[in-house]
Amino acid sequence: MSERAVGHDGMSGRAVGHGARWVRTAHAEWTKLRTLHSTWWFLAALVLTMVAVSALTTGTLRAGDCAALRTCEEDTVKLSLTGVWVAQAVALLFGALAVSSEYGTGTIRTTLTAIPSRWRMLAAKAVVVGGLVAAAAAVGVFGSLYAGRELVLAAGFTPAAGYPAIGLGDGPTLRAAAGSFLYVVLVALLGLGLGTALRDTAGALTAGFLLLYGFPLVAALLTDPDWVEAAQRIAPASAGLSVLATRNLDALPIGPWAGLGVAAAWAGALLVVGWGVLRGRDV
Amino acid sequence: METDADAGTVQVKGLRKRFGSVTALDGLSFTLTPGQVTGFVGPNGAGKSTTLRIVLGLDAADDGEALIGGRPYRALSTPLQEVGALLDAGAVHPSRRGRDHLLWLAHSHRIPVRRVDEVLEQVGLASASRRRAGGYSLGMRQRLGIAAALLGDPPVLLLDEPVNGLDPEGIRWIRGFLKSLAREGRTVLVSSHLMSELEDSADHLVVIGRGRVIADTGVRELLAAASGDRVALRTSARTEAMTLLAAAGATVAATDRDALTVSGVNAEKVVQLLAGAGVPFSEVSAHRATLEEAYMELTGDALEFAAPPVTGTEAS
Repeated sequence: MSERAVGHDGMSGRAVGHGARWVRTAHAEWTKLRTLHSTWWFLAALVLTMVAVSALTTGTLRAGDCAALRTCEEDTVKLSLTGVWVAQAVALLFGALAVSSEYGTGTIRTTLTAIPSRWRMLAAKAVVVGGLVAAAAAVGVFGSLYAGRELVLAAGFTPAAGYPAIGLGDGPTLRAAAGSFLYVVLVALLGLGLGTALRDTAGALTAGFLLLYGFPLVAALLTDPDWVEAAQRIAPASAGLSVLATRNLDALPIGPWAGLGVAAAWAGALLVVGWGVLRGRDV
Repeated sequence: METDADAGTVQVKGLRKRFGSVTALDGLSFTLTPGQVTGFVGPNGAGKSTTLRIVLGLDAADDGEALIGGRPYRALSTPLQEVGALLDAGAVHPSRRGRDHLLWLAHSHRIPVRRVDEVLEQVGLASASRRRAGGYSLGMRQRLGIAAALLGDPPVLLLDEPVNGLDPEGIRWIRGFLKSLAREGRTVLVSSHLMSELEDSADHLVVIGRGRVIADTGVRELLAAASGDRVALRTSARTEAMTLLAAAGATVAATDRDALTVSGVNAEKVVQLLAGAGVPFSEVSAHRATLEEAYMELTGDALEFAAPPVTGTEAS
């Protein structure tokens, strides 16, 4: 083999450490996503939809709508983060496509010949998808809150009227900011789990949208209020988005962190199902 | 344990695989050895791709095992540096540039980036490497897939139908290329459903049909067996030649107005007899069967999807 002058990077090709293998796998998955234009469009769309929808909604706020500002109990922080409700769709799409497009194009077979450990492949994908969405979500949440702060003040919800300016120094506001950031990341992972389990873009998106937006609709059709509340407690979106609330927490069907926990449980469970399918089936 | 003797060998042992009620592999076994190009041939549906997918750990066998250098694929820690595979040339994300497809593969094994450009050069794709793969022709995607297989400079190459979609220049290129890879001491497996594609490149053949090995033989031995000791003869005096050769104990068949095929007597004897009796002839040659003929003889009864024989007057 005269021409075999290639990179075994100093180490014997067969004695690669466990940690190094993880780093390489994550690097490969990162390169894979980085080299698709669509990745950057998705992340830009995530930021833009979150900030734009938040700002448009908050922009409709008028102090005059409240009879008395002090008793109106307007949750200005939650209102400023309305965009999360739309941006989660982009996160779902991005997460699902990160794996379902591999099945669509057949690259999953190339991926698994390069990375035979399916567990390592899926975990690396989750880290890279989660990291990219986290970066975009952080920008979106900050942008939404910043826009909200200005718009809320302009609408007359001033500190003098009992509404301190929105700022992360406030405990509940920080919780809502961190919570919505985490929620968007969890939805992306939920999408990844669905894509891995269903191996099909259309199927994963249908299931994902039903789960996020259909579940609350079903809940609305239920007549018994106890059932409605139970449905809101277990649905990933309505439970997860309770983390946005900063006022009037008693009226929520589930506490903010507990609600986020429900969303995390959905994402985790779907990833586990996805891994089960990936581990056991031929590709 | 891996020993030097195992390095570069691929062992397929008693593979069985069913898809529902269809038996794809029915106890398939063969061994590939370094330094030669092995043709992996069989009609469509014979189980070639299934075998390769099992060897690469993508599909699980119901029974049996496939070992590379003595270990299953999924136990290899740097698989691209031990086995290079081309499975499906279409399996590239259309929006990704050709070079980027190799780049992420390289990153998965910390193969240096210059190796990416090296293999692109080697397969003749350097100038198109920064274009999106979706715009590639089938031939270009084949070349990209071959570049991916070569990326880790592996001692074993498994290529599923690499000739598909290549233009005549590409076919000539890949034949020479496969031979040069084997000359470097690598184990090269090339699958094909067309025996003629392997005529000039394969040294060894594993012929399968209906999930079983029909023949595991050297190309030369196979051709010799199929050719027999027949002699092709061209003569203007057909009747005299036939009478003379039959009298000498040969079996003679007329294949054309002035052509005969003679068996049972070698070419030298044929010349001697005809010259001695003054029968004119213009051409005597040992008949050489094509690989295709040999293959048809082997697989005649193992075709999965055989068309019914053509009957009627329009058949010639």
